[in-house]
Order: sequence, then structure tokens, then C-alpha cells
Amino acid sequence: MELFEAINNRRSIRHYTTDPVDDDKVNKILEAGRWAPSWANTQCWRFVVIRDPDIKARIGQSLMRIKRDDKLVDNPGTKAINDVPVLIVVCAEMNKSGCKPGDATSKDFVTDKGDWFMFDAALAVQNMVLAAHGLGLGTVIMGAFDAPMVEEILGIPEGYRVVILLPLGVPAREGKAPPRKSLDEIAARDRWDS
Amino acid sequence: MDVFEAIKTRRSIRKYKPDPVSDADLQKVLEAAHWAPSWANTQCWRFIVVRNPDIKKQVAGTLMKVQFGEDWLKNAAADAIVQAPVLIVACAQKGVAGYTRDGTPVTDKDDWLLFDVALSIQNLTLAARALGMGTVIVGAFDAEKAAAILDVPDGYSVVTMTPLGYPDHTGQAPPRKELTDIIYTDKYGKS
Repeated sequence: MELFEAINNRRSIRHYTTDPVDDDKVNKILEAGRWAPSWANTQCWRFVVIRDPDIKARIGQSLMRIKRDDKLVDNPGTKAINDVPVLIVVCAEMNKSGCKPGDATSKDFVTDKGDWFMFDAALAVQNMVLAAHGLGLGTVIMGAFDAPMVEEILGIPEGYRVVILLPLGVPAREGKAPPRKSLDEIAARDRWDS
Repeated sequence: MDVFEAIKTRRSIRKYKPDPVSDADLQKVLEAAHWAPSWANTQCWRFIVVRNPDIKKQVAGTLMKVQFGEDWLKNAAADAIVQAPVLIVACAQKGVAGYTRDGTPVTDKDDWLLFDVALSIQNLTLAARALGMGTVIVGAFDAEKAAAILDVPDGYSVVTMTPLGYPDHTGQAPPRKELTDIIYTDKYGKS
């Protein structure tokens, strides 16, 4: 698929069929993630590919429940995680991105942003969502869940954190593009206001 | 250009030709950035397009030097910012991505601005690649100084920047870890 078509037509997909996704496609998507740039090529990202329905179901329970008519109900994302054949959990190694090079144990961050793991993980994730769309598959980037709970379920070691959940599957419904701010609102010339 | 080709052939470009970038191409890369997804569609990103050579030079001066053995060298990206006809500075509104409407953080990550800006910048670097242009994502600079130069108001942070222009070298792909080193099945550490 042509790049601009992928960028413009990618949607966050919240309803999936239970159709399978083969390993070849999953590998292409992970490969796309791996080609993202990163802070001093530190590549802090790690991907856990989950097909086991039981593990998926447990992770689905980590999503924050939502209030409807004064009752807490399952987040619709929980169903999406159960329906999709593959859930990619994006993790990151701490104290690599944003640090001085060479010192693996350094917590000597270079900038006022501290650890840049969120930034580098997102570069890889954007490659993956575009690649998935290019293969006719849907994704949705999930951030609102109990990350420590998922870290426990997956046995994530010290020094690593879970960043996002990425369900991957065949879309059951087309997604909608939420309205974007106008370019005038978000882009300025030479200085903030001009 | 095919999406996979753009992803695999994008390189960090640190030398640029002085050739100008058209407004139409600039618009295309900014729109690509803007089509990225974001936390609850908050779109915290803001972009400053700097063509003014004097301002570019001032911003290039905020880049940190790179330690090479005993020596501290100028970051090659500083020269790239001066050379390239356009510098794109990505800023973000603080306290929206990752927060509820009343300003409570939703997750243990607090502000998701780094994450959302990176989603949009990755679209921008790929779009530039497909249009034959180069970029290099710069993070090691003094963000407060850059904010002062660019009149970025309180409540916003300068996150990252990239020169945008036509490459004067091909760029090299630094080696990637093996897929087996970064990918596990079902549980962490399981291949």
C-alpha cells in the first residue's frame, strides 16, 4: 500500500472478527517496528506476542472499567482483546533512551524529559500500525490499563515496563476518523505566534 | 512509495543540500504528522516551521555536544539544522495526553506527550522519505533555551526537532538487534 494512503486511512479499530492472522504477517509488522529510529540506536523496545486465549483474557481485565448508568462495566476494549487472534504488548527497557551513551546502569538523563522510552516505543508503534494497515489488518493503541498488573501476568523483569497494548486482527467494522484540529491551529511559522 | 519501503529505507540524515522545500511538500509532511492517532484524540502536538536562517542558527546552538572518548564534539545535527532549508520543531501541550478532563493522570506514566508526539513525528519522517527528503530526530538539546528562542508559552514543552531538506548523503542503517532478542511469545523471555 502506498505510504500516504496508509497514513491517511489508518483508523483505530475497536471491533474485530475472530479470523486468524498468520505468523508471516505478524513478523512483517514486528519487523516494521524494529526499523524505527531510536535514541542513539538504543532500541529499548521489546514486543511480547500473545496468542494464548487465557493470557489475553487476563490482560483484557487490566483495562480500566467504565461507568455506565452508575454501574462499572467492562471496557469495550476487553472484548476486542478477547476477539483478536493476536495481542502485541509493547514493553521498554528503562534507563537506555535519553541517557548518556556507554553506561548501561546510568540514570544520568541528558534532557529535562528524563527517560525517553515512551518516545522511542511510540516511533516503533507508529511503524507497526501503518504496517498492519498496509496488510489489511486493524489495530488500536491502548494506554489506559493497569500496567503493573500486566507486568505481573507476563513476568516482566525489573528494569522493564509495559507501555501499550496493541490488539491486531481483522476489522469487523470500519473505524471513523475523529476530527482533527486545523493545520493553522497546530502549525506556526518561525516562532510560536507568527 | 510503498509503506514498507518507506519504513525500511528511512535513514537519519545529517547532511543536507541547500535546495528549497516547496510549501506543498511541507504541507504534506505536516498533514501526515497530524493524521497520527493520539490519546483520546487530544492532539497535543504543535509544530513550528522555521525557515528564518537566523532563528535556525540560534536553535542549532541549543543542541548538546556529544562525548567521543575524552572529547566533546559538536552534534552533527547542529550543522544539519543550519544547512537544511527547513527546521520543524515539535512542541506539546502538557497535561492533556494521559489525563482525564479534570487533569488527573490515568496511568503510571503520567504525561503521554512524549508518546503522542513520537507517533506524529514518525509519520512525518516517513512522509518526508516518500517525498525524497531527509530528516533526523533530535532530542538532545536544551529545551528551555529553545522555548525561549521560539516564544513557546508556559504549559507547552519543546519535545523534539528535525531538519527537513534534500539529503546530501545516503545515510546508513545502524545495526538492529535480532528479532529474537526483542520478541517473545505469550510471556516475557519466551521465544
